Amino acid sequence: MDPIRKDEFDSEACGSKAPKSKPCPRPKPGEAAGGCSFDGAQITLLPIMDAAHLVHGPIACAGNSWESRGTLSSGPSLSQYGFATDLNDSDIIFGGEKKLKESIDYIAGRFAPPAIFVYSTCVTALIGEDMDAVCKEAGDRLGIPVIPVNSPGFVGSKNLGNRLAGDALLQYVIGTGEPEPELPPGVNLIGEYNIAGEMWDIEKLMNSAGIAVTSRITGDARYKEITWAHRAKVNMVVCSRALLGLAKEMESRYGIPYFEGSFYGAKETTYSLRQMAYLMNDRDMERRVDRLTEREESRLIQDLRPYRKILKGKKAVLYTGGVKSWSVISALKELGVQVVGVGTNKSTEDDVRRIADRVGDDTEYIPEGGATRILKTVRERKADIMIAGGRNMYVAMKEQIPFIDINQERHKAYAGYEGLLRLAKELTYSLANPIWKLAASPAPWDKEVPYDR
Amino acid sequence: MSKDRLDIPDYNTLFSEHRFVEQRLNKQQFEAPCSEQETAEALAYSQSAEYMEKNFNRKAVVINPHKACQPLGSIMAALGFEKTLPFVHGSQGCNSYFRSHLSRHFKEPTPAVSSSMTEDAAVFGGMSNLIDGLENSIALYKPEMVALCTTCMAEVIGDDLSSFIGNARQKGVISEDFPVAFCNTPSFVGSHITGYDSMLKGILSYLYERSGLKAAPGSGEETGEKLNVMLGFEPYTGNFTEIRKILDAFDTKYTLLGDHSGNYDSPATGEYEYYYGGTKLADVPLAANALGTLSLQKYTLKKTQDFISETWKQQVSALSTPLGIAGTDKLLEAISELTGLPIPASLLEERGRVVDALTDSHPYLHGKRVALVGDPDLLIGLIGFCMEVGMEPVHIVCSNGDVDFNDVKFKEEAEALLASSPYGSEATVYVGNDLWHMRSLLLTDPVDLAIGSSHLKFAAKDAVVPLIRVGFPIFDRHHMHRYPILGYQGALNLLSQIVNTVLDELDRNNSGFNYDLVR
Ligand code: SF4
Repeated sequence: MDPIRKDEFDSEACGSKAPKSKPCPRPKPGEAAGGCSFDGAQITLLPIMDAAHLVHGPIACAGNSWESRGTLSSGPSLSQYGFATDLNDSDIIFGGEKKLKESIDYIAGRFAPPAIFVYSTCVTALIGEDMDAVCKEAGDRLGIPVIPVNSPGFVGSKNLGNRLAGDALLQYVIGTGEPEPELPPGVNLIGEYNIAGEMWDIEKLMNSAGIAVTSRITGDARYKEITWAHRAKVNMVVCSRALLGLAKEMESRYGIPYFEGSFYGAKETTYSLRQMAYLMNDRDMERRVDRLTEREESRLIQDLRPYRKILKGKKAVLYTGGVKSWSVISALKELGVQVVGVGTNKSTEDDVRRIADRVGDDTEYIPEGGATRILKTVRERKADIMIAGGRNMYVAMKEQIPFIDINQERHKAYAGYEGLLRLAKELTYSLANPIWKLAASPAPWDKEVPYDR
Repeated sequence: MSKDRLDIPDYNTLFSEHRFVEQRLNKQQFEAPCSEQETAEALAYSQSAEYMEKNFNRKAVVINPHKACQPLGSIMAALGFEKTLPFVHGSQGCNSYFRSHLSRHFKEPTPAVSSSMTEDAAVFGGMSNLIDGLENSIALYKPEMVALCTTCMAEVIGDDLSSFIGNARQKGVISEDFPVAFCNTPSFVGSHITGYDSMLKGILSYLYERSGLKAAPGSGEETGEKLNVMLGFEPYTGNFTEIRKILDAFDTKYTLLGDHSGNYDSPATGEYEYYYGGTKLADVPLAANALGTLSLQKYTLKKTQDFISETWKQQVSALSTPLGIAGTDKLLEAISELTGLPIPASLLEERGRVVDALTDSHPYLHGKRVALVGDPDLLIGLIGFCMEVGMEPVHIVCSNGDVDFNDVKFKEEAEALLASSPYGSEATVYVGNDLWHMRSLLLTDPVDLAIGSSHLKFAAKDAVVPLIRVGFPIFDRHHMHRYPILGYQGALNLLSQIVNTVLDELDRNNSGFNYDLVR
């Protein structure tokens, strides 16, 4: 494997403009940090549902993570299997390449997947396994693509892993196939992972406006459709900074224009659909999009009315990764919810700029994690609800703070117009549950004791 | 109120809506789907003895593993001590997996930090990361002890924890008297139970040696006569409550060595703290003077048991998880033997009540064929419990069963236990296998019930067997860990969980001819 050139990644990584400082902020030792690059790479590629995903390393990386993400499939489920080489101490000493080769052979023989993704991990990268060579040899011999994903955990953050996975797609997948002849020219959705089925809501909207999806990269994707991604007319980078590099490279290689957008909130959704039609350069399509978005927006306003009444003026603290921090703010604003604190630990400077465009001056930026820091903001700003990922959920429960899970394990789809309505309902539900009243009031015999919160 | 009611369809309804079904069909053009016949054939093949043989000949790849790695266990051990911050020396990702893993099981936060090693550390060693990490984490989380373990990355590059900690002290990053216990936990050796053991032994030996105390077993100095009790890698907070209840009934003094139940069962008071409960650090050296030590997971706690009997020169009674009547009887006998106290009447009465419950339910359990997955000590307990009520263990898979206790391997003990009862005659014990193997077993040789962690649900669904969730991890059911499964009360809980699943199945599959009101 090529040595990982940190400088190179740092300099061109996540931003659309050349970033000034480090774009993918590095974790500080001694803090409870987020996932590793390996995790990030998996998040990007696991939604390719019909492929096999094999983790080359000790049991840690796969044993602690298989089948625990919320990305849904409408068909094949091979991607949900936890495949691992489970290296032991003697493999570490004598090398695990033989085991890797046998594993690939077994998977190809038994499961006949259209492709196998092989992930390096800290250990296999450190002991210098020649994964690329093993994959190449096996791929040639078996006649299916066997794709090395060189993204061991120690190279950095989850974001970097997303990016490295994008590189693997560019290098080994995109451009290796041709679309079915009847597929109309369309849009690639990059960085949409179909968490809780969000992709399906988006696709439905696109279909009603007559916009075709060329490749899903990678929510509910099939391997084959990604091979022809280079035939798309437009790339949309959906809420994933880290895959911007992929879009840029496709622009220079294949001349496909790209834009960044989000489907959180009605405004963003409308903007994204319009942008697609505009870049497709199709007048008819633009008119259809206008009709659709007008209709959907006005329907949404009707549907939201009862929820907005309850949500108006409520305060939220938002603690989530990267791009979602600004895109979710838009959605919340439309519901009348005021964001009084927002996590920026994984955001690039561009993200922070966009956050600033969307919130008022008195919003607190939470640069780094640690439950105390988030909780302090919730308390000081008298927030009504916390919107964050699963690892912070139980802390919120301890503090009796209403909570909504927004990260990759969430069970509700919040994208598009319907998603916004769902978000509204979910927020109302979480805020209105009688348990908060019960939790916040002292036991009856303690009533006279003052109790705040 | 009714206006705010949620009417959000879940996937099951949502995705069976017309538009989703249509989308799914549209998508098949990319899938190059097999014909229905091919699918049926493949499914039939996967149920065949021929495929099972192939599957069991598979050596290289693990499919759907049923074990986690050492550092995960080590974090659990560290959280068993008062105000102790688990610190994982290695790259950051592992730690975030461990935290989510434990949190998803207990539905509680897991405070644990990492030294976030990067490629610089891979080249130059992780010392500066470790030292910075100690400084930052102590400032941020204000622990009274740090419990340090490694990941495979630190192991592969050969970082030396003890000298790094020494350097951190020299640099003044941590003071001389700030305790930092440590152990090595490479993920490529053993599993989560090995890691639990390493960290527990690491903490006990570290705090003991620092105290300068000399073990005087049985002297009860400063503590009165005391028993040490270790539960091991214990996914049930309820088991701590139950063991306390039993020890209190004996009216003996005791120290739990490693008690993470506080951290994983803390109240929602409106204010989160990083640390709850745990064994007091000062109690650890004093534990060297106890009468003896009772270990409830003998395979898990190998190293710790050896340390206690060799260094503290105490009698160690080591059992597997005490499940069922016979398992609990053994527990009470061991306590009685170690303390010289009689078995309390209240427990005898409880025993009688639970035996009564077992007799009530036995007709529904008799002859039920079960498949079991879990850690070695849990499995020994479960096998015993199943046979006690006339259920027949058939397939037993233990991914991390390659362990021994006093030179008896887990597999041998399990087989001997099975051989002791006619209800065990059908059973085969598989060690080192994974859940894809279990799937083959379930499909080729069907059973009535599967008992194991949430990870078994996929194989159980394929084989259309109800899954009774016992062990670790349980991600998809709430609050199971709050109910004890050990002791007589635990036997009752296990019994009701199992028998009511059987009754649910009876009703669900009932044709109507005997849809009885009374069962
Ligand atoms: S940090 Fe390394 S060892 Fe840990 S999960 Fe990530 S790739 Fe695996």
